[in-house]
Amino acid sequence: MYPLFEFPTIGGGMIIALIATFHILPCHLATGGFWMAYFLERRGHADKNQELLDYIKHFALMILIFCFVLGSITGVGIWFASTIISPRAISGLIHTYVWGWATEWVFFIIEIVAIYTYYYTFGKVAPKTHMRIGLIYAWAAWISMVIITGILAFMMTPGKWLETGGFFDGFFNPTYWPQLFYRTMMMLAISGMFAAVMAGFMKDGKTQNYVVKTAGRWGLAGMVLGALFAVWYYFKLPATAHEILASIPYAAMMFKVSLVIGAVMAIYFALLIFGQTPLAHPVVAIPMVFVLFVGIGGGESVREFSRRPYLMPGYMYSNQIIAHDFEVKGIKSEVARFQKDGFLQSNYFVPADWRNINEKNYLKAGMLLTKANCVICHTMEADGRSSLPRLIERIGITAAADLAAYLKTIGDDYPYMPAFAGNDVERRAAAAYMVSIVPNNEAEPPTPAWVLNGDE
Amino acid sequence: MDINSALQALRDPLGVPFFPWVFQLLMVLTFALHILFVNLVVGGLALAVYEHFKGGDFNLRLSKALAQVSTVNLSVAIVLGVAPLLFVQVIYDPFWYASNSLSAWWAMAFLLVIALGFLATYVFYLKRKKSPQGYGLFGVSGLVFVLCAGIIISALSVQALVPQKWLEWYSANGGLATTGTSLYHFEIGRFSHFIVPAFINIGIFMMLYAWYFRPRADADAAYLDWVGRSGAKMAKIAAMIQVVVGFWWLLTVPADLHFMRNPFLWIGASLGLLLLVGLMKAESAPDRYAIPMALLSFVAILGMGTAREALRMAYLGVFDYSIYTYPLNIDWGSTALFLVTFVMGLVVIAYPMTVAFKLGRGTLTES
Ligand code: HEC
Ligand code: HEM
Repeated sequence: MYPLFEFPTIGGGMIIALIATFHILPCHLATGGFWMAYFLERRGHADKNQELLDYIKHFALMILIFCFVLGSITGVGIWFASTIISPRAISGLIHTYVWGWATEWVFFIIEIVAIYTYYYTFGKVAPKTHMRIGLIYAWAAWISMVIITGILAFMMTPGKWLETGGFFDGFFNPTYWPQLFYRTMMMLAISGMFAAVMAGFMKDGKTQNYVVKTAGRWGLAGMVLGALFAVWYYFKLPATAHEILASIPYAAMMFKVSLVIGAVMAIYFALLIFGQTPLAHPVVAIPMVFVLFVGIGGGESVREFSRRPYLMPGYMYSNQIIAHDFEVKGIKSEVARFQKDGFLQSNYFVPADWRNINEKNYLKAGMLLTKANCVICHTMEADGRSSLPRLIERIGITAAADLAAYLKTIGDDYPYMPAFAGNDVERRAAAAYMVSIVPNNEAEPPTPAWVLNGDE
Repeated sequence: MDINSALQALRDPLGVPFFPWVFQLLMVLTFALHILFVNLVVGGLALAVYEHFKGGDFNLRLSKALAQVSTVNLSVAIVLGVAPLLFVQVIYDPFWYASNSLSAWWAMAFLLVIALGFLATYVFYLKRKKSPQGYGLFGVSGLVFVLCAGIIISALSVQALVPQKWLEWYSANGGLATTGTSLYHFEIGRFSHFIVPAFINIGIFMMLYAWYFRPRADADAAYLDWVGRSGAKMAKIAAMIQVVVGFWWLLTVPADLHFMRNPFLWIGASLGLLLLVGLMKAESAPDRYAIPMALLSFVAILGMGTAREALRMAYLGVFDYSIYTYPLNIDWGSTALFLVTFVMGLVVIAYPMTVAFKLGRGTLTES
């Protein structure tokens, strides 16, 4: 285990989800936008419509800035956030999929060369040459999605990888195809939204109506087909995911939010198709982008929740502890090892004088154990998100002995929480620390003797 | 648990999917490309800002060109940074993750300042069309943000080299530093050694600029002469400073690493000196020297990157850490996927690059 990092108040998991939400808009636009640009540019040249061509040039510049500033930085941002919040999980992914990411990176290089060339040669080279460069970008961007989807879907459903450890067994996993189709449709819808926003800045007239209608068509098609593929995706999720969506109110609410927003977006796009061009005015369109953003955030939360308690299902828990034996790679469960040999003895990043629990250090050691086990999903502050002290208060446990007993079966009793990784003394030390942070806890604090020797 | 065995234990149990030296090679190669473009951004922005405030016809023209090219170079630098970021985490994962977790807020701030630098640079470039002398402060802040990013990533890289300090940092004051607010270790000499070449490389870039636009029908010979000559001169002076900086940094490297005896250091340093010799001559005929100097400079950067890697191996050798003993779990299929795609990618980008190159130079012929 690496040094722990605690993100105050909202918690680390939420930060990753938040950056991921910010990333989805620009990255889907980067992948989908140029299919739209190609389509409109062909039309523009065929009709010799300079206004339309000017629109596309502007469209391309905005994609360039929006996607290559926000998209690339939030993309690297998810990576850095994972690096500091769950380094061992990102490490596991990288050691499995490094060549997948490296392959995706080749397509980034193609994209960046193509998009700058596209923009700076606009109107200066033959239409055919120019559109060919646009197509190179569109294909490269979509293929980068084909690749990353394999890794993202792997994080939900690793499939045969758990038996073979093979790259492609994990890549083409049970939710790969539904996710790929779903994301492809979302990319068309997001491009439609972006085209509508940009059209809102055009002067009124036939060209604007045409662009708005096209945007509406792409958007509606994306939402409707996307919904179908989402259903397919939903049914491919494992039973535990369905159970979690049913049992955690927050996840269930986010699931509903994303469904309702999907419907709202579909209606909006339908109105654009039926000639409601004024709805593309920035006053309406920009708030609609925000609505879409919230919907994506809902979808992301559902995704985050439904793979609990794992980060790599069947292999590594959210708290970076290896959950089960992984036979083909000769890896042993760390939960089992830490329960037997002790967490503090098995890890380097433990202050030297905390390694052996005694009557002086047990609360400090308990703090380290609590954070190592729980801080990825719960904050330690009473007013934090998914606050551990508040949740303990809620279930009505006040005595350390009761909490120690609770921790013993936590992994079996809840589908979304991992087993406690530590030996018996460590479990009691953690319980002693946890009851000490519950606000207004009037129960008698445990004695050091109980922590060290127990009486369970 | 002692640090040597801790480092072994921190390695990812999944092992690496191909021979570690391949990742190392790719890491050094892509790092060289990354730092080249970082150099072009830093040098380009610094000069664009300087010429902007200096004013004058030629100066403003150059400033504008550099501001524009800096936006492109910054995107390229970021994309090229992704590759070494990936590979360093494959073979040096214990070091990279420990260093980043200990300074977590700084790792996040790194991206924030890049985003701000990027936006500032775009404003500096796009808005100057409307008011040629205004918006200079955006250029200044763009440069400052980009330099801050460099300082942070350099500190993170150096922290990764001193595992003996980590636990001390983590358990300072009898507690547990889970806040990630401190940046612990920064070496100004090392950082300068990666940043001073910005002025060598932007100087060579200016020589290339003059060479490139010369054939255009509307080329302004006096302006191009000025750009090429100023570039060559700046590159030469910067190369001299770089030699001094290099020795300054070298003297601060812990003597027990015996880095002075490392052949890669001397290969890198000789390439740097060779570049300096070339640049001494280039001032007389910048156009003619542009391509050879650009190639030589890239080779020198590769040498510098290799020496940097040799230094890392020296640092970590103290802890008996060697990437060559990383447990292997070879996966031929995905390795082949990457290699084939990589070659294909180079072929594909040749097309848009050729179109852009010819168009800018005024030599594009098509129906
Ligand atoms: C993988 C994420 C995850 C980890 C790790 C985790 N939890 Fe939870 N925990 C949850 C979720 C999700 C809930 C449900 C929250 C809600 O209902 O608002 C929850 C709820 C709880 C509750 C309330 C249970 C109830 O019946 O209402 C307690 C108590 C709790 N967690 C304690 C812990 C402790 C102690 C640890 C560390 C040993 C821990 N959790 C680790 C995800 C996690
Ligand atoms: C735009 C501003 C940036 C600047 C000025 C910059 C500068 C630098 C410098 C000076 C170094 C050498 C550090 C040292 O060894 O002391 C470096 C290394 C590195 N940079 Fe950047 N960089 C920038 C952006 C990025 C981005 C966006 C990424 C990632 C996508 C990145 C990834 C890396 C990596 C992986 C290394 C090597 C780390 C190692 O080998 O330990 N850089 N950069």
